[in-house]
Parts: sequence; C-alpha cells; structure tokens
Amino acid sequence: MATGEPYAVEALQVSKRFGAQRALDGVTLRVRRGEVYGILGPNGAGKTTLIRSLVGLIVPDGGTVAVLGRRMPSLDILARVGYMTQQAALYPDLSAAENVRFFAEIYGADGGVREALEFVDLWDRRDSVVSNLSGGMRTRCSLACALVHKPDLLLLDEPTVGVDPQLRVQLWDRFQRMAREGAAILVSSHVMDEAERCDRLGLIRFGRLLAEGTVAELKRQAGVERLEDAFLKLSESSAA
Amino acid sequence: MSRRRVAAITRRLLQQFRRDRRTLALLFFAPLVILALLGYLLRGGGSVPTMGVANLDTGPLGGVVASQLERSNTVSATNMSQADAETKLHNGDLAGYVVLPPDFSAQAQQARVVAPDVRLEGSQPGLSGSILQAVSQSFTALASTAGVHFEPRVTYLYGGPNFDTLDYFGAAFVGLVVFFLVFVITAVAFLRERGQGTLERLMASPLRRPEIVLGYMLGFTVLALIQSAEVLAFSLLVLHVHNSGNVALIFILEALMAIAAVNLGIFLSMFARTEFQAVQFIPLVIVPQILLAGIIFPVSTEPRLLQVLSHVLPLTYAVEGMRNIMIKGADLGWSSLQLDFGVVLGFAVLVILAGATTLRRRIA
Repeated sequence: MATGEPYAVEALQVSKRFGAQRALDGVTLRVRRGEVYGILGPNGAGKTTLIRSLVGLIVPDGGTVAVLGRRMPSLDILARVGYMTQQAALYPDLSAAENVRFFAEIYGADGGVREALEFVDLWDRRDSVVSNLSGGMRTRCSLACALVHKPDLLLLDEPTVGVDPQLRVQLWDRFQRMAREGAAILVSSHVMDEAERCDRLGLIRFGRLLAEGTVAELKRQAGVERLEDAFLKLSESSAA
Repeated sequence: MSRRRVAAITRRLLQQFRRDRRTLALLFFAPLVILALLGYLLRGGGSVPTMGVANLDTGPLGGVVASQLERSNTVSATNMSQADAETKLHNGDLAGYVVLPPDFSAQAQQARVVAPDVRLEGSQPGLSGSILQAVSQSFTALASTAGVHFEPRVTYLYGGPNFDTLDYFGAAFVGLVVFFLVFVITAVAFLRERGQGTLERLMASPLRRPEIVLGYMLGFTVLALIQSAEVLAFSLLVLHVHNSGNVALIFILEALMAIAAVNLGIFLSMFARTEFQAVQFIPLVIVPQILLAGIIFPVSTEPRLLQVLSHVLPLTYAVEGMRNIMIKGADLGWSSLQLDFGVVLGFAVLVILAGATTLRRRIA
C-alpha cells in the first residue's frame, strides 16, 4: 500500500460458517504482487474455503474481500484472476489444447494457448484427449488453463497433491518465475517442504490464521529449526 | 465360489441403499405413483366421447335410434341441429355426429337399408372407433326387428379411413422423442460439468450466468435440431406418418420444445448430485407426463381431476400443437395452435429464467 498499488489480495476479518462448523474465523491476510504466498494447514483447516471466498464462490458471513483493489464479488476482476481447483477440473473428452483454448476464450485472452502449454511442458501432447493423459499431465494441463490469460493473481488450491517429486519441483520453479514477472501467487498446501519455497507463509488451523511471515520469521518466532515444528508449536501456543 | 464373498457384496449393496434414501424412495414410491395414476386414468370414471345426433327423420325410427344413442354409456350423445354439430366438430367439442336423414324411416321400411351419415372428427382413432361402435349398436335393435341393413356413410373432418394409430401417436412422438432425449442429455451433461469440477471453474471466471445458460442452450439446440430433422424425416418419409401441415411449423415447435428441454435439464439437474440421480427423474418426471399429456389417452376422456392436471402440463399443449399441425393441418391463424405455441413458448421462457437463477445455488 505504501507504493500506492493495491494488494493483490486483501481479506479483512473474513468469517464463514457451515452449519455449526466455523470454516473461517476472522481471517485477515494480504498478498502483494510479485510474491508467492503459501497457506499452510492440515486438511479441513479452511484453506479451500478461503480460496473460494476470494473468487466469490463463497460469500463470507462477515468481513470483506478485495482482489486487485476491487471489493469482491466482481466479475470484471475475475478476468485477471487464475484459479486452479484442487481436482484437475478439465473436460475429459477434449484435447489438452482444446481445454486451454476454451478457458482462454472464457477469460477473453487472445492466443496464449501455445505459450501456456509450453510453460507446463505439454505442447507435444496438445492433441491428446485429456482422458488419455496421466494424472500429472492433467494437473499441468489444469495449471495451463488457469494461467493462459496471464492473470495478475493466481490462486492454486493444493496444486501438487498426487504429483511426483520431480514434477513438483518443476511446478514450483514455474510459480516462482511467474511471481518474478509480477504476478501474485497464493498457493495452499499441507506439505511442509514445499512451503519452504514460498516468500511468505500463513499458518491456518480451525479456520484461524495462527501466524504469518517468512519461513525464517516463523522459525524464529517459534524458536525451532524445522518448519514442521514451528507449525506445531505455533498452533499449540495459539490454542492455549 | 465363496458364500462369504457373495454375501459381502450383497450386504454392501443393501447398506449403500440404506443411506441412499432417494433411490429407496424412488424404488418403492415411484411405481405406486405411476400405477395409481394409470388406475385412476383408466377406472376413474373418465368421460366418454361426446357426439351429436341430428335427427331429421319425419318417421318414427329416427327417434328410436336417437334415444338409443342418448342412453348409450359408451358415448355421450346429444340432440342438435346438423349445422350446430358441424360447428362443434370444428371446435373440437364433438368427436363426431350422426345425421338421420328425413327419409330415414321410409328407407328402412321400403329398401330395408339404413344409411345414416356419420361424420367424424377423425384426429383420434380411439374416439372415432367408439362412436362408430355406438352408432352401429344403436341400430342393432332396429335391424333385428325390421331386418334392415346398416350401411353408414362415414366422412372425416381430419385424417380419413386410412388414418391409423401410428398417425395419431407419430405426431405426438415426433416432438416427444426430441423433448425427452434432449432433457436427459442436458441434465447429464450439466451434472458432469459439476462432477468433474469444471462448473466451479466456470463460476470463478468472468462468465455471467446467462452466458452459460445461453451457450448451453445454443449447443444443445444445434444437436436437437439435427435430431429433430432426422426424426421428422424418418417419420414422414420412412414411416409415412400422416401430415397435412407445414413441415417448417412442425420444426419450429420441435425447436421450442428442445429449447425448453435444455433449460428444464439445467434446472432439474440442480436437484440431483450425480448422473444416476438425473436418470431417476425419468420415472418421476417423464412417465407421469407421458400418461397425462394426452399422448396415449385423449385428455378429453380423462377423469375431471386429471384433466385439470393435464391442462397445467406444458407438454399437453406441445402434443396438441403437434397434432394440430400434422393431423389437422393447422397454421398459425388457428387460435388453438396459437394457444399451443404460446404455452410452449411461455414454458420455455419460464425454464430459461429458472435455469439461470438457480445456477448460482447449484455451485455452493
């Protein structure tokens, strides 16, 4: 905000209940452009709910969400956001290229299909029907669909679940490359070692943001060497 | 073969259904609904075909036949003038009428032949049959006492003597086949969109809901139109289903039904979570409509209560519209066809709105 540029994501005191369960409990979080922000937390912590509320799929019970300087929900701003769901959401009867082209058109992007497919190393398999692709290839194709329109904000919901270690390294290289080119990337994960590659991290549990900062800051705050221990220690101390 | 393994599969299956209340309800509730409906349709004291009797006979026999007809319980006959009867036939109030000519008694006594004019509306073979049967029965008393021959001269307002059951059903089915197939395919396609997660993706994109609905509508309409053309060509060219109307008009009505079906599919898919559940709509939504829309049983002969229900169902008007065009050769100048088109169009608009507004809730 100091530079006058709005945050890519600014969530203030966001709360959401599903029946008796508090999925989000007053989460405040800001993501800047050019950074990879990781939301780290166990299953059911509220990571997906948080991401879905950022794209307007969930209307929070309390608090406000602003994306790229605009209060959500806003369809216009969604054209500048890329969203990759946890499950590789693709049309199985279409080829990889057809899937990417479809999302390019939905987002009003001209071209970029080749670039996106090359970015995820799928250009050679562009004419393969998605149902014939392996799980890892589908994940990459799904990522290509999410970034074909060169979004300013990319939301990735556990993008590396079920992805082999080699591919995981590749994907993270790409996320960091995109961030260096000016995009904001918000990625959720429950895997600690990939959290180390985020510029900043938010620890989330029981719908609450327990701690926030760089990896080094979090370790220092908890006074431990490993991020995993930091996570455990910080969630204990906040529960107490 | 292990008994234990077989039993494990059986038990698992029953356990699954215990949690799937919906399928259970369908399994045990739907047949009762369908059978009860069928029972009520067939035994619920539905009305019999209405016919007119124009007795012009100067002698005594005409009166005998007329009162015989009026007492009949297979038709509901009323005395009226020939002009009245013809008007009512055109309005669809009568399924037919019989004219007993002025020399009816004289002919019967002198020539030993009775030749009444029987005029039938003709678009519904079942009703025509009932009337012919009732008329001939009313003469049997006469024939046995006087020994006269019965030679009715039958003319038809629509169709003709060669008009058969296929002509009657064909007209309705040309529209129905398209309506139901498009409905099921859209519902399944929409659920697939949801199941594979792409709907969530679309909802997080700048797409507006009406754009999704319109895009779906156009896509399926293309398929439905090709299907309509195919069904129509097959019915007319291969099966030689009777058609006295404008083929373009049939096609437009089919297209309207297809558009309504697409949106009904989108709308109803909201009440299903899986493709399996979408298929479950068939016995609950489709079968009762087939029974009540006048496809098999003419609406005019249904029990009163069911007639009310039939007149609420848009499909009734679609079926009637198809028959108006194909059997009666109706064009858009006919007020009855205007009503049919109006209802189908109104229904299409209604489900388009319903589809678009419920789309939001489907995602959450």
